[in-house]
Amino acid sequence: MKRVVSVSLGTPRRDGTSEVELLGETVRVERRGTDGDVDRAEALIRELDGNVDAIGLGGVDVYLEVGGDRYPIADGVRLRDAARRTPVVDGHGLKDTLERRVVEDLARAGRVGPGTRVLMVSALDRFGMAQALTEAGCTMVFGDVIFTTGMDYPVTTLEELGKLARRVLPQLARLPHGMLYPTGARQEEAPDERFARYFEAADLVAGDIHFIMRYLSGRAHGLTVLTNSTTESDRASLARRGVRSLVTTTPVFQGRSYGTNVVEAMLVARLGPGAGPERYMELLDRVGLEPGSFDLEVSR
Amino acid sequence: MTLIESLDAFASRFNANERLRQMNRDWNRTIAIDVEGEPRCALVLEDGHMRVEPGAPSARDIALGAAEPVLVDIFGGELGPTEPYLDGRLTVQGSQEDVLRLDFLSMLIWGE
Repeated sequence: MKRVVSVSLGTPRRDGTSEVELLGETVRVERRGTDGDVDRAEALIRELDGNVDAIGLGGVDVYLEVGGDRYPIADGVRLRDAARRTPVVDGHGLKDTLERRVVEDLARAGRVGPGTRVLMVSALDRFGMAQALTEAGCTMVFGDVIFTTGMDYPVTTLEELGKLARRVLPQLARLPHGMLYPTGARQEEAPDERFARYFEAADLVAGDIHFIMRYLSGRAHGLTVLTNSTTESDRASLARRGVRSLVTTTPVFQGRSYGTNVVEAMLVARLGPGAGPERYMELLDRVGLEPGSFDLEVSR
Repeated sequence: MTLIESLDAFASRFNANERLRQMNRDWNRTIAIDVEGEPRCALVLEDGHMRVEPGAPSARDIALGAAEPVLVDIFGGELGPTEPYLDGRLTVQGSQEDVLRLDFLSMLIWGE
């Protein structure tokens, strides 16, 4: 049996384990939240190093890639470098490929296209998805500045997003990650409805589940949510707030869709380090692991 | 450049940017500027307009403290706020969201 642990800066309340069969071998997947405590996450990675087959990094990226430029995230680099023997992955090797493909599938199915109004709560951490939705002809609002700083500063084009990244990411990436992203207990705060109008004006909301949960009002009638890491409790909460359907870019294992870091760690554990996005997708296709799709009206 | 001149330059760039003014019209804040621990002046944001007020402000939402040359460099666009914040030359007090918003403003005003 292979063993994979995702060390997350998120709340431990989302911790869980699953066992997945990948080409005749069982992979045991475990998530351990550290409540936004980077020191604790680093200590845990050191403890796991050499004792598991792969480690995923949750709630933080090692770097962001926007328009061909890479911006290392100080806390992410620190956590990756805490392990010397076991490969540490943040989902980057999969995110771009998998998320683009899901959008292309949605476009082929007629679920997104010209006229679809999309709010991406965070696009700097998933530029591939932002590009794919733009290429599909959707009308975009990128909410990175709005949901990170509370400043009502919508960005509507990839060009402006790239320009924004060049201006702010070299500096912001050096700040403690908890300043930029809801980690730990902040993931469980009551919804903030200051920007509800952006959700009400959208047909589809895409991006990080924690930003979505933090700002989604209870008036999201008919909305589709496109994200990755979700639990049964997230789905119930989305349904209560009026979300009609949920698409997860990662497959669903025993009731939950894990983050891309978990799926990449599973694939690395099975294929060995050095396998890239192409081999990841080949394996996912061979074992028939597909994105998740939920009709939440049924569960309401 | 003096501290007041650099703050004036910062406020002028903010006020000349219609989009930034619009986006911050509901963000009324007093940003106290402390030099070596002594209140020196404040940046006051009110209804999308920024002004510099000499002297100690009567109330403060955010407080920035540093040696005068560091503050001059930050508000004059010579130095981003992140580096002196991380190495301890700049202290920042305020809500996390306000601090990050001010950081963004500075980068949007002086970036590139």
